Amino acid sequence: MTSAGPPTRTRTDDSRRFGLRARLIAAFGLLGLILSLILSSATYLFAQNSLVNRTQEVALDRANQNAAEVSRRSRALDDEEQARLLVEQVFTPEGSAALFQVRDGFFGSSSIGFGEEDIDEGLRIAVEQGLAVQMLADIRGETSYLIGIPLKQVGFRAAYYEETSLSGVEDTLNSLRLALLAGSLLSTVAGVGLGFYAGRTVLSPLSTISAAATKIASGDLDTRLSADPDRDLQQLSHSFNEMATALQDRIERDARFASDVSHELRSPLMTLTASIAVLERRRDDLPERSRVAVDLLSADINRFTHLVEDLLEISRFDVGAADLDRQPLEAGEFVRQALKMVGSPNVPVRAPDIDLFINGDKRRLLQIMQNLIDNAAKYGSGATGVEISRAAPEGFGTPMVQISVIDEGSGVPDAEQDVIFDRFARGSEGGRRGSSTGTGLGLALAKEHVMLHGGRIWVENRSGGSTGARFSFTIPEYTP
Amino acid sequence: MSIKILTVEDDNSIRTVVRMALEDEGWEVLEAGNGEDALAIFKRDGANVVLIDIMLPGIDGFEVCRSIRRSTDVPIIMVTARDDTHDVVAGLEAGADDYLTKPFEPKELSARIRALLRRARSADPEMTTMTFGDLEISPDEGLVTLSGEEVHLTKTEFRLLVELASSPGRVFSREQLLERVWEYGYFGDGRLVDVHVRRLRTKIEPDPAEPRYVVTVRGLGYKLQA
Repeated sequence: MTSAGPPTRTRTDDSRRFGLRARLIAAFGLLGLILSLILSSATYLFAQNSLVNRTQEVALDRANQNAAEVSRRSRALDDEEQARLLVEQVFTPEGSAALFQVRDGFFGSSSIGFGEEDIDEGLRIAVEQGLAVQMLADIRGETSYLIGIPLKQVGFRAAYYEETSLSGVEDTLNSLRLALLAGSLLSTVAGVGLGFYAGRTVLSPLSTISAAATKIASGDLDTRLSADPDRDLQQLSHSFNEMATALQDRIERDARFASDVSHELRSPLMTLTASIAVLERRRDDLPERSRVAVDLLSADINRFTHLVEDLLEISRFDVGAADLDRQPLEAGEFVRQALKMVGSPNVPVRAPDIDLFINGDKRRLLQIMQNLIDNAAKYGSGATGVEISRAAPEGFGTPMVQISVIDEGSGVPDAEQDVIFDRFARGSEGGRRGSSTGTGLGLALAKEHVMLHGGRIWVENRSGGSTGARFSFTIPEYTP
Repeated sequence: MSIKILTVEDDNSIRTVVRMALEDEGWEVLEAGNGEDALAIFKRDGANVVLIDIMLPGIDGFEVCRSIRRSTDVPIIMVTARDDTHDVVAGLEAGADDYLTKPFEPKELSARIRALLRRARSADPEMTTMTFGDLEISPDEGLVTLSGEEVHLTKTEFRLLVELASSPGRVFSREQLLERVWEYGYFGDGRLVDVHVRRLRTKIEPDPAEPRYVVTVRGLGYKLQA
């Protein structure tokens, strides 16, 4: 729908930045993220715990076994050389190493090179005091499990140390962590996708309703929603349809009322009009008083008839029954003929040298001109000119022709320039009936006629030092 | 013999006051309150112009119009309600020469009646007979024949045909025809022309769907093809 003036748009600047769809997607994504993070963390912690515990158990077991073995064999030890040989025979799997403390000497095994300096001081002291200790230590940059077991069964001071690197476990845990992170990411993406899908499912019936509402608002009162297969949405479409029907009935009833009333008034108006004509013919035979009464009656019956006709006309717009009987018209010729028809043949017309054709309904266009000229006569001391020009394209680029009616009155105050096209608008000049047959619907009807053609109508005050108003409207250009 | 106008209107008040207005113009007025009375009066007394309101009790105005049309080419004006655009076309198709919408000014009605009475007289005694294929038009006699057989046209249809025939091949716009035949100006109702062309075609064209004589020129108007 076109507006009654240079387009103004009202923006709901306080509307939410993120709509329902965005929030749904964010919610699902966030949910996916949180859930997967919780799960991942739990999994990781659990895995970490078990792996570490298991490794610990295995290492402890092995260390104890090895310690027992070494202890047994140590009973027959004579010198340090034998001690070294003994340690070398201890089995330590990849990633672990053993150390045998005999009196004050340390003898290591396997290739890793686990030495005295790697034993934590606190641990050694504890072991030398006869305690079996285990701890996590940082040995040569790797986290390792360090076990110290005093050998009590042997005749001399001895202890068995074993270190098990946890780097393997660390590697496993790292891989796990990466995998879980990747999984979380995927879950989040899946969540977003799900949110998108959910958004679409939820919003699609909403956009259907929105489209239907727009259609109704633009006048297509018959629009209804088809029954939704979804049980939960059925109530919604049902309620919507009920509302639309109630609305349509209301609107049609109102419009029909205005139309019916006007229709019923036709016959009595016919009698009134014809009777007044008969009386006027005998005017000179009437006494002075009767003559005055007849004159007053005549003027008002005329005005009343026009009001009824205008009401009928506008009610047809309201009920959507207005149709357009278009034909190509040369703008200049139309304007000149219209001016002649409304009794203002001498108003100067300014038009471009070339012929401009408009695609319009003659009867309606004549009414527009009539109403604008009448308005100029009533409030602007008469129209002083009509201008025809090409206007900027409207909407889909339809070329438009603009016709402006100019007067030299006092113009229209800025605040009234929009409302002046309202029905029964009473501006600052309102209330004066004068000698014209203005009905208060003139400009409102003109606006309806213009909008039916797909054009715009507006008023502005003349610029450049001259006072007066300039009423302009646009009509689509006829392009063969 | 004075000019007789037959008014067919069921509303008593309207009928009375219209009669007074028309009598003021010097015409004799016959009144009927319904279709049956109208046909009876017309048959008995005849009339120069018939005014029929669409909304009648019993047989409707269209039917009255059609009945009268079957036997005579008397000028008929239909009185319609303003917003019934279908009524206008239906009235014209039923055979009316013109229409008025209620409420109208009596002086408007008088003007239309006078225009119809002017049209009722022979078109132009100075124009000679014209022949186009099987169609023969004699403006001085007010006669049209198709392959020798007389075609019964209303006064308006006849005037329309003569206007088109006055310059065969020339395209007349609706506005021009409205001006010449109905004496309306630029803002006359184009439907008057369109429906009358349709009616003319059903009477003189061998195949009204594919006109050979009265041809439409898209976007411009109508012409008589020689």
